[in-house]
Order: sequence, then C-alpha cells, then structure tokens
Amino acid sequence: MSKKLVLEKVRKTFGHLVAVDDVSLEIIPGEFICFLGPSGCGKTTILRMITGFEQPTSGNIIYDGTIINNIIPQKRDFGIVFQSYALFPNMTVEKNIAFGLNMRKAPQGIIKERVAEILQLLDLSGWETHYPSQLSGGQQQRVALGRALAIKPKVLLLDEPLSALDAKIRLRLRVVIKKLQQDLGITLIYVTHDQEEALSLADRIVIMRNGKFQQIDSPLDIYKRPKTSFVAEFVGTSNFIAGTKNNGYVKFGNLQFMVSNLDEVENEKVYLAIRPENIELIGITISNENCIQSNVIESVAEVINFIGAVVRITFILQREEMVFDLPEKEFEKSGLKRGEKIRLYFPPDAFHIYSELFDKLI
Amino acid sequence: MNTKQKEIDIANEYVVSPVRMKFDKFIIPTVTIFIGLLLAFFMLFPLWSILTMSFFKGGEFSLINFTLENFQKYFTTSYTLNALWHSLYVSSVTTFIVTVIIFFFAYAMTRTTISGKAFFRNIIMMPLIAPSIVQALALIYLFGRNGLITAHLLHTDWNIYGSTGIIVSEVLYCLPHAFVILYTTLSAVDIRLDEAAESLGATPFKVFTRITLPSAKYGIFSAAALTFNLTITDFGNPVVIGADYNVLATEIYSQVTNLYRFDLGATISIILLVPSLMAFMFNYYISRKTFSMISGAAKPVIPPSRPLKKVLYKTYCSLVSLSIILVFLTVVVGSFVKIWPYDWSLTFQHYHFPSIGGYSAIWTSLWISLIVGIVGAFLTLIAGYVMETRKPYFKQLIYLLSVMPAAIPGLVMGLGYILAFNKPYYIFYGTPWIIVINVVICNFTLGILSSISNLRNIDPSIEEASISLGGDAIRTFFKIILPLSKVAFFQNFTYFFMRSMTTISAVVFLVSATVHLAAIEIIMLDNDGWTASANAMCTSIIVIVMAMLGILQLVQKKMAKRPLEL
Repeated sequence: MSKKLVLEKVRKTFGHLVAVDDVSLEIIPGEFICFLGPSGCGKTTILRMITGFEQPTSGNIIYDGTIINNIIPQKRDFGIVFQSYALFPNMTVEKNIAFGLNMRKAPQGIIKERVAEILQLLDLSGWETHYPSQLSGGQQQRVALGRALAIKPKVLLLDEPLSALDAKIRLRLRVVIKKLQQDLGITLIYVTHDQEEALSLADRIVIMRNGKFQQIDSPLDIYKRPKTSFVAEFVGTSNFIAGTKNNGYVKFGNLQFMVSNLDEVENEKVYLAIRPENIELIGITISNENCIQSNVIESVAEVINFIGAVVRITFILQREEMVFDLPEKEFEKSGLKRGEKIRLYFPPDAFHIYSELFDKLI
Repeated sequence: MNTKQKEIDIANEYVVSPVRMKFDKFIIPTVTIFIGLLLAFFMLFPLWSILTMSFFKGGEFSLINFTLENFQKYFTTSYTLNALWHSLYVSSVTTFIVTVIIFFFAYAMTRTTISGKAFFRNIIMMPLIAPSIVQALALIYLFGRNGLITAHLLHTDWNIYGSTGIIVSEVLYCLPHAFVILYTTLSAVDIRLDEAAESLGATPFKVFTRITLPSAKYGIFSAAALTFNLTITDFGNPVVIGADYNVLATEIYSQVTNLYRFDLGATISIILLVPSLMAFMFNYYISRKTFSMISGAAKPVIPPSRPLKKVLYKTYCSLVSLSIILVFLTVVVGSFVKIWPYDWSLTFQHYHFPSIGGYSAIWTSLWISLIVGIVGAFLTLIAGYVMETRKPYFKQLIYLLSVMPAAIPGLVMGLGYILAFNKPYYIFYGTPWIIVINVVICNFTLGILSSISNLRNIDPSIEEASISLGGDAIRTFFKIILPLSKVAFFQNFTYFFMRSMTTISAVVFLVSATVHLAAIEIIMLDNDGWTASANAMCTSIIVIVMAMLGILQLVQKKMAKRPLEL
C-alpha cells in the first residue's frame, strides 16, 4: 500500500545550527530503510520532518508525487513508534491500539476486529485489559508497534525503538519488526545509532554525519566498501594508517605497504583503513611464504580481549594503537600470550583508500 | 483477500475529520488570546485604574489632569506617612525573626536525626488552613487587655495591641511560607559537602558558618523576601490587633471604607506596591539562583546527630510547634466557652452569628471556593498546557502576565476591582462572580507554575503519539493530558479552595450588602465586639478546610491505588 517517499534537497536549520544539510533520497515503496549515525547527526530531525513535527527550512518532502511539507501530522497517516514507547498510561492495551481508529471515528465493529487482528499479529492476545505499566518493556514496545500499525499507516517510522530494551529482547523484537515489515510490505523508516541493528534489519542504510549523508547502500556494501573514512570507522572497526603514495606503495615512517588499486598520483597524502579481521597472524591464519614481505610487520601483543567468537588483540604500529581479530579457535591454537612477539600480514587488497580522514570526535 | 479488503476500508474510508483539523488550527491561538485577555482585563485593567486614580485628577486619564497632589498630601500628612514607616518597621522585624526561626527549624528537619519530623512538618504548615487573622484573634485572647496570660495569670496592664501584636501574629502567619522555601533549599544542598569539610578537620561551628550557611544563602534571602512581602501586604492581622497603630494595608482600607477617599486609597496602594514589588522581584531573581545551586547528585543521607544536638533541636521545634498549636487551640476553645476567660462553661451560643452575613456567609464562602477550586485548577492546567506544550506565539508575554498576580498585594487588586468595575454595565460587579474571578486571578501564579512543572514531567512523545494517530488538541487534552494531570489538578484544586476560603485582603472590598464571605465576617464580627463569634467563624473555616483536605487525601489515596483508571 505504501507509495514512493522522496526527500528533495531537504535542509533544516535551528538558528545557526544546520541539523540537516541539503539531503536527497528516494525511498522505494516497501523498503526497509535505516538512518544510522552518531547522536546529533540529524537522523531524528529527518524523521521528525517526515512525520510532520518539523518543517524543512528548504527543500521538499514528497509522498506519492505530492509535496507534504506543510501537511499536519494528523493528516499524514504515518505510523510512528517512539523511543520511549509513549504509550498512553491511562489507557489499556486495547484502548491504546484503538486510539487512532477512534480518532478517525471508525465504527466500533471495525475497531474491534482490527484491534483483535493487531493483538494476534503481535502476540499480545490476553493482554487487552492491562495497562502499559503492567507490561514488560518488550511488550510495551509491541503495543507501541501495534498502535502505530492499527491505522494501516502509509509509512511506518521508528525512532530508536529498541534502545531502551535489554539485549536479549532487543534481538527478539528485531526479528518481529523485520518479519512484520516483510509480511505487510510497508515502507519502514528506522532511526538508530546501533550499527548492528541497522546492518541486520535494513534493505538500505543511510549513514549520516553532521546533517549530511555519507553513504546510502546495502548493509553488505556499507560494511565491505565504506565510501568515506567516517563510514569505515563508524560501521565496524577500522585501523587507520596515514602515509604518502609512492609507486604502488604507501610510505609511512620507515615502512611501506604495497596497496592494490592505488591511483597514479605520486607523493600525495593518503589514508588507509583496514578491518581487524583482515589482518592475518603469520604462522596461524597464513603461512609466511604466501605473504608479500613489504606488508609484514613485527609487533607485540599488548592487550588481549576475549569477545566471544573472536579474540581482539591490541598491538602498536609506529606508536599507533591498532587491533586485529583472531577467530577464537585459531587463538586457542596459537597459544598467544600478552607481551609475546607477533608477526602480522596486511594483505594489499584488504585496504580501503581515502584521500581525507574525518576529524575524529573522541 | 480478507485483509486486503480491510486495508482499503481503514486507510481510505476513515480519515481524521477535516472540520476538526480546521478547528484545531484555531483552538490554541484562541485559548492563548482568551487567557491573555482574561489576565489583561482582570489584572492589568484594575491596576491601570489604580494608577489613573492616584496620578490624575478625578481618576480621568489625560495630560492636563496629571497631578502629584495625592502623593503630596500623603507625604505631608504625618498620620498617613506614619503608616509607611510602621509597615516597613513591622515587616523588617518580622522578616528577621521569621528567617532566623525558620532556618533552624528547617535545619532540624533536614540535617538532624530528631524524631517526630513528620509531626513538626505538619504543624508548621497549619497556618495555611486559616485566614491570616487567626493569629491576631488568639493573641488578643492570650495577651490582650483581658488576656488569659496578661490580665489573669500575670496581672499586668501590659497588652499586645499595636506593633508588637502585629509582629508576633505575622511571625506566626509567615512561618509555613518561609519554611517551604528553606526546607527545599536545605534538603537540596548536598550534605556531603558538610561531610567533606568535617573530614578535612573543620569544627562543627566552622562547617556551619563556612559551608551550610553560604550554601543556603539564596534560600535564606528568598524566604526573607517572601516574608517581607507577605507581612507588608497582610491586612487581617493588623486590622484586628493593630489598634491605632496603622500600617499601609489598614490605611488603604480605612481611607476607602471610612473616608470614601478612593484617590488616597489608590495612592497608598501605589506606595504599598513599591516595596512589595521590590521584594517580589528580589525573590524572583534569587529563586533563579537557588536552582542553579542545587546539585543533581544531592543525596539526603543524614548522619546521626549527637545526643545534645538532638535534645536542643527537638526542644526548639517543640516550642515553635507549640506556639502554632496554641494559636489554633485558643481560637477553637475560645469559640466554645461562654465568656473567655471568666466563664469556661461550654456553649454553642457563639455560633449563632449575630452579623448580617451569619451562616449564609459560610455557605457562600464554601460554594464560591468550590467554584474557585475547579475553575482555578482547570484554567491553570489549560493555560499551562497551551503555554508549555503547544508553545504559541506571545508565550513569553502570557507567561509574564501569569506570574504578575503574585507580585500584586490582594488589597491593591481588590481596590483596583472597585475602581475598574464599579460601573452599571459590568453586571458581574456586586455578585459572587467577581469574587470568583478575583480569587482565581490573584492566585493564578502558583497555580500555573505547578501546572507547568507537572506538564514538564509528561513525556512530550506522548502528545506527539496522539497527534500522529490523528488526535487534535482538544481530544489530546481531554483524553490524555487531563487524565495524566489528575494529581496535579487535585493539588491545584486544593490550593485554590484553601486560598478562597481563607483570603481576606483581596476580597475585603468585594463583599457587598448581599454577598458575604466567612473570612470577612470575622473582621465584621470582631469589629462589632463579637470576638467570640469571630473565633467561631474562624473555627468554622478551619473545620471546612480541614474536612476538604481530608476528602482530597482520601481521593488521592484511592487514585494512588488505581492510578491508571479514570
């Protein structure tokens, strides 16, 4: 039932602060799209403009070919799920879900039917007469979802819907949301700062920073081919190396790494990013003879963090702290201990190459 | 297939009513304008009338009529000028005494581990449930010309009438107001500061003077400013116990009621307005600072006090409480004995009120107060909702108008009402409705401030959730905001009800030959020599207010049990 939603050069300023900076995006009907970024990046402002709680300073928000900038939220028929759930504490589950239909003066018969449908859909049957405060966090969030879905919204918007829940329930609800969206075929806009959530849920992810879109891509592309150094850093983990180009190599300090796909310009400053899981431990995950020797370094295991499926090991390369990951099985095989010498290999094709480094906000 | 069918039904067939949405655009501006006009007409206009009456000949505003004659007359007549000095004197002395007494009282409640704190806290708040005349009535029974203690126990000719009487009664009246401020301040300031100082080797005296006092200084100033304001604007106590010691408030009253000099009454009102406005503004400025002093991490964990400290503080708090209890006891007992203090046999005869108002005054007061309670609570909630949640244009202006009533002495407002509305075409003048309006407006400030602080506790997303689901302002307000504000609504109702039952100064000019109020009857009865009946009337008010507090407590308890249901 959803139609195409378009953001056209949308800009929003609050006084001197530019919250959203001339962004454009076409959202395909039935798409699950995630806005991902650190807090203050403007993702919630975009959501609020789509819902109608804020108006763009310039640019247009277009739904089904119509500019909806100035249409009040009541008339948009978009469903919203709030971070704090925002359930009406003075109403039962049933009344909460029926609220939107009541506001539309739908006949009681239809309301009853629809509420029952929603209760079943979200596995809330039996909880009709309970008040929100009598429910668990996960149940409250499902009621919030049900309340938004009851009016058959044209678009469903979720603002950090799972951030207040504990980890186990968060995982379960993620599945619920994904399944629901696929079954209903509804356009779903999801705002989060949790990259794992975005990667696991979205058809496309919009990475935002300082009001601008950094990259719009599928989760796999975002992870494997981050377009900017910020994306490389923000999604997953990356080690950064600053150097200068030199005939297919990148020089830094007294080392130089061979790097695939370098362009021709010589002596230009360049930044390399490499993910911890792409660094190999020589003797364990790769044998010495398969390595290009320029890309082999020696260091010491400074810190060993057991994370679960992988073990993260911190080492120092030219006074910079870096990390590499070892699958837990390989780690056990290696018998590596803190303070021991290690030899690491940086494959030439594992680097992402950037001409500038984002200003790190530590 | 079935699902598909319904999808069409809901999404397209049932839309939010376009008429409602059109109407919704106008509702917030309309309410904003209504509240603005209400405050302008019933607060600014009366004030303006007082200004013109005092600065212009015949109260007619034009450049030719401008005159300072009234002020000249005031400042050259030693009798009226004395009222100013008297007012400043009693207010300053009262302020000093109240601040000192209450500081140590609040200190005992927040920084010591004495027992019976709940009892002490309840007793100190008692003066709020009676008109600010109960203290004077009691003091006269105890220390008057025929006082139980002065004439009959000590056999002295000394009596409390005059400045001493005013000061003592005002002290007893202002205690709860000052207590609320200092209690909040002292319980909010981090007690760990004291502990840190102690651990660094400071003596208890040094801790007190270097840490405790400075950290509470804004609270102290604020309590002092409030006390000064309350005392200088109070009318009930000085009119009863002042005798021929005139203060500004009583002087306004006698100029208007006895001499029909509205121009001089208005002039003195302006003179009273100056110090009370200064105290109010000082308090406003200070209370802003107070909040910035309060640390979010403040945790009131009180280390056990030393035994001697406990005994001293407990004795002290008992003495303060005892004097308040004594006031109420005297008035209540005085209303039931035949002839205080000669014939102690019990009687109901003083409850056959011999004044014109009589019993009807009590009923009028009661129903007026119920209406004031409902209207006041409702109006301040709506105003708070519109201003805080919907943020209309001119929000700052409306906010300013809303906090102004607290700065204007009730007596001044009352006189302003006569000057402004005593015209045949204001049909509400001379009816109980003008009293309803006056009391609601005079107490608007505290009502709206508590509404706003309550609304700030409601998650703004809840309102947005309603809007996104198609809720308009009216339905959002009645279905969600109002139910969620039940407790605040009842608290505001109680506040307005109590103020309406007990206020004297604001309405003393608004009672008429046909409209009588219980609190004003006390003055009338006392004036005509029916002191015991005045006590009986006062007791009736106290009983009604306490009954209402009891009922509301029951209601609130019930709501606390089932906070969710309507």
